[in-house]
Amino acid sequence: MSSLFIKNPEKIRRWNIAGNFILAGAGIAVASPFLWVLFASFKSGSQLNNPTLIAFTPNLENWKIVLNSGIFQSALRSAAVGIITVSIAIIVGSMGAYSISRYKTGGSATRFGILAAQVLPPAVLVFPLLDLAYRLRVNGTLTSVIAAHLSLVLPVVTWFLIGFFDAAPKEVEEQALVDGLSRFQAFRKVVLPQVGPGIGASAIFGFVVSWNDLFYALILAPGNAATLPVRIAGFNTFRGVELGAMSAAILVSVIPVLIASFFIQRHLVRGISGGAVKF
Amino acid sequence: MSSVVLKQVEKAYGPVLAVRGIDLVIPDGKFVVLVGPSGCGKTTTLRMIAGLESVTSGSIFIGDKDVTNLEPKDRDISMVFQNYALYPHLSVAENIAFPLLARGANRTDIQPRIDEVAAALSISQLLNRKPKELSGGQQQRVAIGRAIARSPRVFLFDEPLSNLDAKLRVEMRTELLRLQRELSTTAIYVTHDQEEAMTLSDIMVVMRDGLIRQMGKPDDIYENPVDTFVAEFVGSPKMNMITGKLEGNRFASPTGVVTNIQSSNHHNVIIGIRPEDVLISGDVANGMAGRIEIIELLGPRAIVTVKCSNQRITAVVEMAHLLGLTEGLEVGVNLREGRVHIFSVEDGIRITS
Repeated sequence: MSSLFIKNPEKIRRWNIAGNFILAGAGIAVASPFLWVLFASFKSGSQLNNPTLIAFTPNLENWKIVLNSGIFQSALRSAAVGIITVSIAIIVGSMGAYSISRYKTGGSATRFGILAAQVLPPAVLVFPLLDLAYRLRVNGTLTSVIAAHLSLVLPVVTWFLIGFFDAAPKEVEEQALVDGLSRFQAFRKVVLPQVGPGIGASAIFGFVVSWNDLFYALILAPGNAATLPVRIAGFNTFRGVELGAMSAAILVSVIPVLIASFFIQRHLVRGISGGAVKF
Repeated sequence: MSSVVLKQVEKAYGPVLAVRGIDLVIPDGKFVVLVGPSGCGKTTTLRMIAGLESVTSGSIFIGDKDVTNLEPKDRDISMVFQNYALYPHLSVAENIAFPLLARGANRTDIQPRIDEVAAALSISQLLNRKPKELSGGQQQRVAIGRAIARSPRVFLFDEPLSNLDAKLRVEMRTELLRLQRELSTTAIYVTHDQEEAMTLSDIMVVMRDGLIRQMGKPDDIYENPVDTFVAEFVGSPKMNMITGKLEGNRFASPTGVVTNIQSSNHHNVIIGIRPEDVLISGDVANGMAGRIEIIELLGPRAIVTVKCSNQRITAVVEMAHLLGLTEGLEVGVNLREGRVHIFSVEDGIRITS
């Protein structure tokens, strides 16, 4: 019987080689747009007309334009918007998710309907938000952008965390109550640490959503409060798309996210799968 | 250290009454075991004492203090859960320190206490580990360590030994008993295992359907069960129950059991006889005739199932008396004099012994 399970080593080796080829192909497919953007950022106007041109003398003209365009201020603004959005979403969302998980707040309608707003196209929400921003005199500021981003990020973070709270054993929390903590202390000191991976994963997810958003930022805060995607879109001028400069700007936007995900990818996967088990 | 008093405590989940008016007085320093089949309300009762479950009506006192509506943290109790409920993100030392720190103790002040507790439970070498790196038995010790680190007024145990393997369970049972005797802190312990209840309890409380059926010293309950439920629930192997008619001193069952019992003259009764009070002899003429069906060896004794006419009777036979008995052998069966329990057929209540 056992011979059934012993595989021919030669066969295994061949499969491994084939597998590596497939992986390499997939890797190239994913990496090639990045490489294209990377090359484009060092090309001159005429070279850009030839997308397949690989051997050329790089010039830094595009980068000079981008670095003088206030892109770092925009990146800082995007980072601030992302961090504030995520902080609020985690604080509010974790408490909301805990309440929905433990006390069935709002019944199953809340539990599963919380993502309903995600079905709406952003265009439906943006004009009410713009009107509100005018009335509150926060139009053109990052406050309005953060509010808009919360409408995207908060429901997702909450929904995502419900599964993590479901998975945290109730007895541990009850033990904390008996051991001398109040309900809120037990939540903060005992329950939250158990859903740490979920909080990490949803924070990263929320940050990326906020960091990449163009639509809300473009309408609610153009001009002096432009975030990074708005700044990138700005290279689409009335004279045409400044492809080289835009490529350089895209790299500025992508690189921090790439670096961050390289360091946290393991936690991210663990966090996502940890929650997924419960759904 | 405190007494615990329950006065007409009820718990309703919607229309369902899980606990139906319990009165219970637990004297200071006693080890009380609530025992019963699942769904009898024993865990709900314990959780109400802990404050983890609200009380529908009635009141609970710990010492002189009415704790009915107090938060768990204000009741001055310790609890050990079935799944140990260790804080997964904290080390063993931090787990043990938790109840002390939560009540505002200073980290450096409590170190000697943690070392002392760890030594008492032989877990000193585990202090820096995380709970997931421990075996079930070790986790159990940590949970107990955490419970005794502070000196609470009452210990609450919710089936703490159920997740352990049989051998470890018996070891921990002894250890728990030793600890409680040393600390002489009032302990309330919930289990569905009657053997655990018998060995641990100063006072045993047998529950069924949200009510207390009988409470008292375990040997009293074993000797004088109030009804057929308690009689069958307590003791292993369980008491033999035979329904039949009692006329004068002669008992006869439809299954063919006929024996003499000294008793008043009730008509329809259930008689109960503990397996160790069933006497088996190789002499067929001695008592009722029966045939040995199965012999299960336990070591120093054996469980022998005998069939007398159409009635199966379980007997526990000491090894010394087992010689010559084999499966299929015809034997004589006697019920030890004065050891037959008599219950009413209608409601199962004990009539006389």
